[in-house]
Amino acid sequence: MLRYLIIAIGAAAVIAASFFAGRTMTANNLTDPGSVFDTFEDVDGTWLYSDKIGASAATRIERARTAINGPLGLSSKEAVYFIAVQDSDGEPLRSQCTYRVEGPPIDTRWWSLTLYDRITQHYVPNSQNRSSWNSVSIPRTDTGGWVITVAPTPQETAWLPSQQSPDQPFDLMLRVYNPSATTRNTLPNIDLPTVERVSC
Amino acid sequence: MLKQVLFYAVGALVLSAATFFITRNVVIQQAPIKVMSTIENRIVAGAGDWNTCFHNQTYGPRKNAARRANPDSIISSMAYDLSNGPVRIAGETWPRYWSISFYQQNSDNYFVTNDLELERSSFEFVLALDGQDISAFEGVPIISPTPKGIMLVRRFAANASDMDGIIANQQALTCAPVDPVGT
Repeated sequence: MLRYLIIAIGAAAVIAASFFAGRTMTANNLTDPGSVFDTFEDVDGTWLYSDKIGASAATRIERARTAINGPLGLSSKEAVYFIAVQDSDGEPLRSQCTYRVEGPPIDTRWWSLTLYDRITQHYVPNSQNRSSWNSVSIPRTDTGGWVITVAPTPQETAWLPSQQSPDQPFDLMLRVYNPSATTRNTLPNIDLPTVERVSC
Repeated sequence: MLKQVLFYAVGALVLSAATFFITRNVVIQQAPIKVMSTIENRIVAGAGDWNTCFHNQTYGPRKNAARRANPDSIISSMAYDLSNGPVRIAGETWPRYWSISFYQQNSDNYFVTNDLELERSSFEFVLALDGQDISAFEGVPIISPTPKGIMLVRRFAANASDMDGIIANQQALTCAPVDPVGT
């Protein structure tokens, strides 16, 4: 009798330990900022892409990660999303550095480029209360292109503020809403912005 | 003796692996549902009830926004519960760029359309569950896969000067349970 009691207690302990380990490790994995975009496709070394946001075709882990780290995204029928977590040299984006983001016209109804703190996945507080530029408000070059300067200090050109301290990793999210048929047919290999580090 | 110890060790390992695997799958499966419930409760707290519109009227970044919210997308939201019948959503589109989207309880965006896809600038949808009788109601039917979910109307603002127009557009949006004809 005592033997069975010991076996039952042992089994309960194994189940409890495995349950808590499974729950904690899975939650950590789903919320880990370093692995949020693991299932995204690498387009060009800088930009990552997924057409599974909001999609019924998403795997369960893709759905869970999206829900936790950026809920209520639109399906690719309406919008597509690109993420840059590193610059054109493959170095992680850091908030103390200055970057020149240069892009061509994008054949779409609306686009926006937004900066998020990679750890909190929220806006970076700044004096301008600006965390993005969009296709209407961005100053254009003669050819319709555009340049944004990401930096912790004020800039003369279109400034997207990062932060001086602490030196945090950040990412840039390019949202392309209601893309034209031409753009849609070339996804994800559209002409994407370059992200060049100017100084650090 | 050694054989018996080995037997229990293997048993514990199998039990542990099975528990871990099942727990992991349940967490992954339930995570989007839990996130949706949290957002629904926040919308209901802001709107005052289920099946009621709630409007963001701030341009730019907001401290209490969801993770990775888009600051130039000014959102009206509704947490819906179709248990007691269909819900009607009606209003006007927004000229810059406008979309309406619906999310089921597992967070999938099962329906979305935009202003260019609609025939007119005014719209009327009836949101219902499969099997609910909506023949007496006007409006384009949308069938929700789950009784609860979230609706979002996105209006895109170039800058803060768009907000007066957007707020007027928000006031023209209605979200409410449908009234059966004759009642």
